Amino acid sequence: MSLWNTLPAEEEVLADPGEPADPISAADDNERADLHAYRQARRRARVRRFGIGALGLAALVVLWEVLALIISDPVFLPSVSQTVASFAHYFTHPYPSQGKPLWYDALTSLRRVLIGFAAGSAIGVALGAGMSSSRLVRHAIDPVIEVLRPLPPLAFIPLFIIWLGIGEMPKEVLILIGVAPVMAVTTVAALDEVPEDLRLCARTLGATPRYTMLRVQIRSALPGILTGMRISMAGAWTSIVAAELIAATSGLGYLIMQAGDYLNTALVFSGIISIAILGLGLDACLRGLLLLADPSRRR
Amino acid sequence: MAAPLADTTVVPGTEVVIDSVGKTFRRGGRRTVALAGTSLRVRAGELVCLLGPSGCGKSTLLRIIAGALPADEGTVTVGGRPVSGPSPDRGMLFQTPMLFPWLTTRSNILFGPRAQRAARLHERDDPELDAEAAALLDRVGLTGFGDAFPHELSGGMKHRAAFARALATRPSLLLMDEPFGALDAITREKMHEFLLDIWAQHRTTIIFVTHDIEEAILLGDRVAVMGGQPPGIGEVIDIPLGRPRSALDTDTEVFLNARRRIRGLLRS
Repeated sequence: MSLWNTLPAEEEVLADPGEPADPISAADDNERADLHAYRQARRRARVRRFGIGALGLAALVVLWEVLALIISDPVFLPSVSQTVASFAHYFTHPYPSQGKPLWYDALTSLRRVLIGFAAGSAIGVALGAGMSSSRLVRHAIDPVIEVLRPLPPLAFIPLFIIWLGIGEMPKEVLILIGVAPVMAVTTVAALDEVPEDLRLCARTLGATPRYTMLRVQIRSALPGILTGMRISMAGAWTSIVAAELIAATSGLGYLIMQAGDYLNTALVFSGIISIAILGLGLDACLRGLLLLADPSRRR
Repeated sequence: MAAPLADTTVVPGTEVVIDSVGKTFRRGGRRTVALAGTSLRVRAGELVCLLGPSGCGKSTLLRIIAGALPADEGTVTVGGRPVSGPSPDRGMLFQTPMLFPWLTTRSNILFGPRAQRAARLHERDDPELDAEAAALLDRVGLTGFGDAFPHELSGGMKHRAAFARALATRPSLLLMDEPFGALDAITREKMHEFLLDIWAQHRTTIIFVTHDIEEAILLGDRVAVMGGQPPGIGEVIDIPLGRPRSALDTDTEVFLNARRRIRGLLRS
């Protein structure tokens, strides 16, 4: 089993079930006599959920600090304040063994992820659209994807080094090779899910076939495609950091490896936290797009 | 809730002539006759129900009239013109409301007019369309919900929004495919009155598909009972109930007679 395959399941577990999909559709019309009040109530519920989530994170930080105080060995477990100080220092000052500050490594990893992710998404969505619209293309490409999908992208690292050298290209291709099959599969699923009657409905309202394709079928599949992007983005971070741990001279994975070799545990934590922040940031961007594309998730 | 619409939005119903229509599906070498030699003449402004069990060809016939399926035999003409594909003259309502979930109620209602404008079928500007959307929202009792998204509406409200969207293209014929089948009994009764109320004002021709005998009798001027092998329209029953009708009419002698007769036809 590769990481890629476990990701969708993980996503399901992590997803907040929140309220039922359509909590009051069975209720009487009177209950939603006022749309404004209804939306405000949902907004309050959202703020409350956010507050509870923040409490959970705060509890984790407190637990960390208490454990660090008890153990009081900064090599085994640095305290929160030591980690923050280390992060602040090395963010702008180069780490001696490596010669570059943290921001440079973070930017390097981010660039690799974004390039590989963008190329992989474009290829995957194009493949998925082709597979959804033509039976022939689907039957030809499907087995290729099914063979590639369960393979851990990391297994390709030596191959890419032999074929593409040790520059940026092999790292970006590594991400692409993980992202593209996931995007192809989710795009096909999203396009297939658009009900036949939704298209017929658009046609009986006077939409041309082309207008229906663009404004109904593709538009309707957009939330599913964006969800696929969130899933493959998480996978992209996994493979880039792993690749940098093994075969790179820059990037957050490399920084973490170097810091570990020199027993600078606070810097290891700083690298991990940087990955978490970047991963959360990119996911927040995609989530924002998803909320724009699918109003029913705004709750 | 029934404010009458401006005269311009009311289009008189058209006559529908279904002439010996047949349809056979072929899948993997197997042929299934879905409809054979089916004829029916629906008068302009009439409300006809197609009633029958699953697999009697009623949805197939509706889709042929809509232009979503081509007939293998026979022809369908609407207002004297043969059907060759989907058209906004023939509005359709489905079992689920089929609202576009990413559009507000107002934008859902205006989907048709905007799509037609994109196809250069008319040149009505935005203020004019907005005014029409406001009138339609009012007409279906959704004033104040123009900015709501479909997931913020109740089941009945969604169906009324879909109704307004279908009316926005000013169809002369409405095709309804078990539109209230998924609603609870009370909401359903309200939707029946709502439908009859709108129809009383618009006099659009309506072909209404259902497998519910009481719904067919309550709504229809006539009920076309479908079934048989190969499937098609059997007898067409006149329903001599007066108008306006309501759920109270289900206890009358006329209603019970019609029900007995149709039940007999469906069993034979």
